[in-house]
Amino acid sequence: MNMKLIKILAYPSLVLAVIALTVGCRKSEDTQKANSPASSPPSQKQFVIGMSQCNLGEPWRVQMNADIAAAAAKHPELKVIFKDAQNDTLQQRAQVEEFAGSKVDLIIISPKEAQPLTEPVAEAMDAGIPVIVLDRRLLGGKYTCFIGANNEKIGKAAGEWIVKALGGKGNVVELMGLQTSTPGQDRHKGFLEGIAGSNIKVIFQADMQWLEPRARDEMESALARYDNINLVYAHNDDGAHGAYLAAKAAGRDKQMKFVGIDALPQEGIAYVKQGILDATFQYPTGGAEAIDTALKILHGQAVPKEIVLGTRLFDAQNVAQGGEDLK
Amino acid sequence: MKKNFTSPAGRAFLALVLVFIIGSIFNADGAFFKLGTHRDTLREMSVYGILACGMTMVIISGGIDLSVGSILALAAVCSAKMAIHWGYSGWLVLPACLIIGGLCGAVSGFLTARLQIQPFIATLAMMVLARGLSKYASGGMKVSTAIANPDGTYRYVNVPPFFQDIDHRILGGSFSVVTLIFIACVLLGWLLMSKHRVGRYLYAIGGNEESSRLSGVPVVGTKIFAYAMSGMFAAMAGICQAAQEQQGDPEAGVGYELIAIAMVVIGGTSLMGGRGGMGLTLLGVLTIGYLDKILSINAVPEAGRLVLTGIIIVIAVLTQRRRRT
Repeated sequence: MNMKLIKILAYPSLVLAVIALTVGCRKSEDTQKANSPASSPPSQKQFVIGMSQCNLGEPWRVQMNADIAAAAAKHPELKVIFKDAQNDTLQQRAQVEEFAGSKVDLIIISPKEAQPLTEPVAEAMDAGIPVIVLDRRLLGGKYTCFIGANNEKIGKAAGEWIVKALGGKGNVVELMGLQTSTPGQDRHKGFLEGIAGSNIKVIFQADMQWLEPRARDEMESALARYDNINLVYAHNDDGAHGAYLAAKAAGRDKQMKFVGIDALPQEGIAYVKQGILDATFQYPTGGAEAIDTALKILHGQAVPKEIVLGTRLFDAQNVAQGGEDLK
Repeated sequence: MKKNFTSPAGRAFLALVLVFIIGSIFNADGAFFKLGTHRDTLREMSVYGILACGMTMVIISGGIDLSVGSILALAAVCSAKMAIHWGYSGWLVLPACLIIGGLCGAVSGFLTARLQIQPFIATLAMMVLARGLSKYASGGMKVSTAIANPDGTYRYVNVPPFFQDIDHRILGGSFSVVTLIFIACVLLGWLLMSKHRVGRYLYAIGGNEESSRLSGVPVVGTKIFAYAMSGMFAAMAGICQAAQEQQGDPEAGVGYELIAIAMVVIGGTSLMGGRGGMGLTLLGVLTIGYLDKILSINAVPEAGRLVLTGIIIVIAVLTQRRRRT
């Protein structure tokens, strides 16, 4: 509870910085727009997309916004307005209402919570504005399209890769993400499905709460207790990196493999390139897919109600080629 | 003998012995008896312990410092930026980060001592501010050995020698440098509190601020000094954290201030101020650090760990209260 309080209190500090930044960015964006009408043909219709991000405290969400911006930059007829709700549900609700009020052409929302944001999204839909929901779900079905990844599938892919990498048997340490969070539970459940039927034994399990220092501490305990560890499966790349540092300090990093999840370019993928991790599985942001879907909607094409994103595997063999798509 | 166990140090020591007995019983197939386990435990508690050193000085002065976790993150980000991205030498990074931490602490101290804002509020504000600064300095991303090029690709640099030296072992791999830094911090804190005039002032202010003012103690300056020291210790902890993670994480240290306060209180330093000491804090750090390790090597699930830690804190504080009556 205290942690939560602290987190809540920590976010307002960003307000000033973020306001300053967004105002600055917006300005340069506007001037760019004003200077470059000649480059886009006047006949082409301009579309404004409102994007409400639940917080920018997580690098993964920073990446999601970057992916959206990069995809939108390829289409000069699109203009994306980014808003950061700073982990505040009511603020995010206000942002959706604001977008609906200013009659944007489409809303993308990566919601913080389902219940309180279902209603404002439904109202925007009633006002005739299509809504794409990214990553976390809303209640009911009053939105245009949901795009999200499936943690259980990713956990399963990791489990299957591990079975293959260890030849079907071995001792595995599992460093779990916060077990009161759905991603943590699903990455655990999927992993167990993936290794089912093999002779892989999970000899040590600990909840490292997504935190690298905690993962290192827990890994040290596992190393103290077990002399034969073949692989570490961590629910995020931070955890796998922490485990690697612990094993390296003990001089045992060469005896085992390290597998993580998330595959952010500056974290997991970088670790694989540096030879720290043996594999990482991408948890896709869906940013590029959201812009593709938005274009289809804006041009009147039909889109599926739900798009489940696959994962990409990055390991030593394929990291230079940009990973490999897993179905 | 009996007298020894009724002194604050005796009680704190008793708690530590108790934790060791628990560890010997639940030794996780002998893992508790391995030298490496103790080396790791001492390393794991060091970052918290360094925070607790500064916290002890502030608490003895009758205050509290909630900003240490955020200052830790700020120093972690700044040191990673300077050492990894800019390639500065440790001789520059270390003092620069200590000055940043010290300044943050001095601002909290000034708000508390000069402007009479309650320590809880002043350091809460600093906690929020320093967290914001660390996110601002890092751009919200971890400052790691993967450096973004302008075109979106990444280039990789080596972990700087400064960080490698800190996350290193000496004496044939049986002792971590981080632990050595922690011991140095305890010694520095002990010298200040027990051997230096400023320590006597801090005890006096914590005991009775008004009467120490009347008897000529420079209250404002001494309090600012205590918070500045706490900020500097937090910055030192931040450098150690960054060195051990090989990156500066702007989200690091969330909730660490509460662990540091718990360590100080379990040692027997009074939250009311004026009573306690650096030696007691060392015992408190060892107690919580070892308790954590014993729960970890036995792979006790998270829920059980939190419950057990909570119970131990209550028992430790109850024994303190019996001492007072």
